[in-house]
Amino acid sequence: MSAGRRAALPAPTGAGEQRALDFLAELIQALALSVNLRKTLAMALGRIADFMQAEAASMFLVDPASGLIECRLCVGPVDIVGLKLELGQGIVGRAVAQNVTQIVRDAQTDERVNVRVDAETGFMTRSIICVPLTTAEGPIGAIEVINRRGGGLFEIEDSVLLETVAAPAALAINNARLVDSLVEQQRIRRELDLARRMQKSLLPKRRRGKFPLIGINLPAHEISGDFYDYFDLPDGRIAFLIGDISGKGLDAAFMMVRVASLLRWSGKEGTAPGQWLTRVNNELVQTMTEGRFVCALVGHYDRRTGSVVFASAGFPPALLQTQAGFEEFIADGPPLGIAPKIEYGQRQLQLGGNALYFASDGATDARDGSQLRIGDTGLRNLIARHAALSPEPRLRALVGDLKRLHLVDDTTVLLLQVPRGQSTQVLLDLRFPAQPEEMRNMRARLRETLDGQAVSPEMRDRLVLAVDEACTNIIRHAYCGCTNETISLRLTRERDMLGFELRDNAPAVDPNRITARDLGECRPGGLGVPFMRALMDEWQLQPGANGRGNVLRMSKRLQGEGDVETNT
Amino acid sequence: MTNECVSETLGDYVIVRLRGEVDLSWSQQVRRAILNALGATGKVGVELSEVSYIDSSGIAALVEGLQNARSKGQQFGLVGVSKSVMAVLQLARLDRVFPIFPDLEAARAG
Repeated sequence: MSAGRRAALPAPTGAGEQRALDFLAELIQALALSVNLRKTLAMALGRIADFMQAEAASMFLVDPASGLIECRLCVGPVDIVGLKLELGQGIVGRAVAQNVTQIVRDAQTDERVNVRVDAETGFMTRSIICVPLTTAEGPIGAIEVINRRGGGLFEIEDSVLLETVAAPAALAINNARLVDSLVEQQRIRRELDLARRMQKSLLPKRRRGKFPLIGINLPAHEISGDFYDYFDLPDGRIAFLIGDISGKGLDAAFMMVRVASLLRWSGKEGTAPGQWLTRVNNELVQTMTEGRFVCALVGHYDRRTGSVVFASAGFPPALLQTQAGFEEFIADGPPLGIAPKIEYGQRQLQLGGNALYFASDGATDARDGSQLRIGDTGLRNLIARHAALSPEPRLRALVGDLKRLHLVDDTTVLLLQVPRGQSTQVLLDLRFPAQPEEMRNMRARLRETLDGQAVSPEMRDRLVLAVDEACTNIIRHAYCGCTNETISLRLTRERDMLGFELRDNAPAVDPNRITARDLGECRPGGLGVPFMRALMDEWQLQPGANGRGNVLRMSKRLQGEGDVETNT
Repeated sequence: MTNECVSETLGDYVIVRLRGEVDLSWSQQVRRAILNALGATGKVGVELSEVSYIDSSGIAALVEGLQNARSKGQQFGLVGVSKSVMAVLQLARLDRVFPIFPDLEAARAG
């Protein structure tokens, strides 16, 4: 009953074919020049109905979201715009499902025809041609014409004509959809990028200096279902947390934002880790959507005692790396959000100089060259490979290795370790009268101390000059020359960083009023500050405690200088 | 090394010999010695080979001497600049501003 789909035009042999070609040319031009496809298609459909001498015509498009075929445009006595059909349902449904033209010569006796619409509208369907709108990816809809005007029936030739005029319409619709989807993709990409940056901003800022926690989060896609955080408790301990929402994608990412803030808030008061998890679990159980859960680990680190306490809700085993090897700490209870009223245990250990790793399962799920999970062993090997590095470069090297593998899931690693050699050593602590005659002795003491740090003579002389200039500035500008007051000098070392701290009891100097002249300028005086600026990496002048006196802090990193560690 | 500032007249040339660590405690004395020498003759050199340290106030005294000499069309140069003084001159970008001579002979030949 159905005619095969024909791509070729009918041979232009007679007046009818010439008419068809003229119409086709006009239609193609209208569609090609269209700035408003919907309007142009509506116009085109009217022209098609006229050309086919049909009483009614309609255009159906498949809704990619629902899979239903929906009437988007129609001309004729009955408005069926919005009518939805299942794939395969009725003539239109068949045309689309089979990608084959349907011809109904007598609708009233054809079982394919859905006469329900007629019954509802009073319209009498006699004869139908329906051709699919075909693209390279398959049919995207159909054009249907109903009832030849004047009561005649549609013939096979009519179906060929309709197929011919449907082709450019299909092309135009498909092009427009491609453009739309491109625009949509770009919009989605922009929004995902915003979401990614928003998520990233929720992670804690990297803290410098002696801070013992470093974390890195690698989302498998734009956004992550993993998170970590750390913050100071009022009593000086550090609280930390790491978590992994089950699943990936947008919903996991949204859940991550909620769970991360919930964990942070409920940990603010320093509740013991086990109770902390219990509290969050009770909240999440009430609100967690079907089938979702959260693996999380929370803990406290006490810098004074070196003690770490943590509790894990279904989080992968924590790994303690010591001189002797690895020690594993498995979860203290099930993930959060599954069952109410769970009591989580917690464990305590002395961290010492050891490294404690918390890694989401993305780390062990990373795939090697053979697409095999690297597993616990693989992760331990990667950690051990970089054991010689200090914590931050080690974590970066570990994450670099993981990145080179194939990451299939969001991956987060939090490392708790006291940076080695982090204790500040006081090399020199001097207090001397704020008088020019004292400078020589101060310089001698400072030279001697710096020589003890294996600083090169050139660097030593530069540092001595900077400190001397700072002292003479205090004498001349802060104490204004005449005084019985003193200056304190403290020289410290933290790894390769030398710190110089000068304190005086002079009235507070406004740091903004200290200006440095340009060294290129040739005039006597005003060289002290530019010297300090040129010789030190950093310098900073602040009022002393209680607004009394001034504190000048200068620092210099010894690069390739005095690399000998004196305190490890 | 004790601090010392001695001016010596060699014909029309005055050489101001400095020793020790030139700092705020006596840079005014150095300044006066240089300005006195420039008041006495048209050709002045400051000998720095025995100076182990110089601070910005010492550099300032040298700069003042140079400016003073230039304004009156006099000769002013640094002689036998020690390594540590040179480092500070370089830091202040004054190493190309001062006429610098390796020794007294060269300085007097000008």
